[in-house]
Amino acid sequence: MKLVSGENGIEEEEGMSSHFPCKNPLSSSSSPDKEQSQVEVELKLLEALEIYPLVKLCGIHRHFVLFGLTEYLQRSFSRQFSPSEVLQLLDRFYNLEMLQPDDEEIEILNRDTDFCLPQSFFVKEEP
Amino acid sequence: MGGSLKDDDSATDSDDLKGDLPNATSGVFVEGEKVLAYHGPRIYEAKVQKAEIRKNEWRYFVHYLGWNKNWDEWVGKDRLMKYSDENVLKQQALDKKQGVDKNQKARAGHTRPKVSTDVKLEKEDSRNTGTKGKKRKGDIEVEKEDDAQVGKPVKIQIPPTLKKQLVDDWESIIQQDKLIKLPRSPNVDTILSKYMEYNSLKDGSQGMTTDQSQEIVNGLLCYFNKVLPVMLLYKKERQQYIEAVVGDVSPSATYGAEHLLRLFVKLPDLLGKFKMEEETLIRLKQKLNDFLKFMQKNQSTFFLSTYDVSKVYEGFEKEEDD
Repeated sequence: MKLVSGENGIEEEEGMSSHFPCKNPLSSSSSPDKEQSQVEVELKLLEALEIYPLVKLCGIHRHFVLFGLTEYLQRSFSRQFSPSEVLQLLDRFYNLEMLQPDDEEIEILNRDTDFCLPQSFFVKEEP
Repeated sequence: MGGSLKDDDSATDSDDLKGDLPNATSGVFVEGEKVLAYHGPRIYEAKVQKAEIRKNEWRYFVHYLGWNKNWDEWVGKDRLMKYSDENVLKQQALDKKQGVDKNQKARAGHTRPKVSTDVKLEKEDSRNTGTKGKKRKGDIEVEKEDDAQVGKPVKIQIPPTLKKQLVDDWESIIQQDKLIKLPRSPNVDTILSKYMEYNSLKDGSQGMTTDQSQEIVNGLLCYFNKVLPVMLLYKKERQQYIEAVVGDVSPSATYGAEHLLRLFVKLPDLLGKFKMEEETLIRLKQKLNDFLKFMQKNQSTFFLSTYDVSKVYEGFEKEEDD
């Protein structure tokens, strides 16, 4: 897929695909390109953190948040990312171990409530 | 369904009008009055909390019925209408025009101007409607966050046979005083790893890599272990939990499909606690639904058909198991 990035002014044109059969920008052999692409990925990651705040990466939701980050990058670059790859990337910027869960989560976990099966389960027809 | 001990979680507060005497010399609407209020492209039931004159004009602080207090706001009389049949018709007309079933309450036009990424838009009403709040043409405030959902309940369809399983579960524990014998086999750990095996054999797997599927499964496991004692136990099971899960024994090694299924009842709430992109949410739901189907396929092996008679008796002799 044609990759166009306005941020760094890099454009990969379709004609180039004959020279670089692999469409994955990160596996391009030329080093300056590789660095540029790495920067692109990092920028996208930082962008993604606006939706998926770092603090959520250390609490009970962390796997789903990581899933979301991975999806975001995948869609931005039309290639596969693995969750561990994303974690590694994050690790370059942040000390993930130092993160503390946020208040909202502490609140969920501190309030024991008895399980309750909602009324809708007892009704035969679908609402 | 017999029995009067139904655990009912629809604990919505009934909105009772305060019954204040209207002050005839004041503004059109009075405190405590139920009204209809315009908000965005639609009309909602609301209640006047306060009425004041500001800068020679009457202003009313309204609360939208069924919605979190965060939405409460000051409005002028141009936004309000008396709660009359005629006006209710207007409300219904606008509902139709939006092409949305009234029960869905899609409040796309209600994004507040200053909403930050941390605003939680939870409904106080426990009847969650799973709306998406999609951007529509003509919405007043269109924000970047419209594409990412926060605090909105996520709808997850539980297959009918599994719903019945939950009802039977309730019946056995609440009505018949039974308990599930622990530890369970297969336990949650086993079920989840069996799912990953099953998942790797399928074509497509909802277009997800094994790593991604694993991440979701890990997410379920993480939730399960953290929230089992917090929100997945009936009161009658608490003592058993204390006895069974000691030291560093994990809930996922002790409990099985019955309690894992209860997690799915709570998943909408849990997943609603943080923001996620629309598209990602859809893929996540597909995966979760796939997992439920897997549970359904294996219902007879994963779930118990009969529970143990509870060993907690006062003044009775210990009975033998069924």
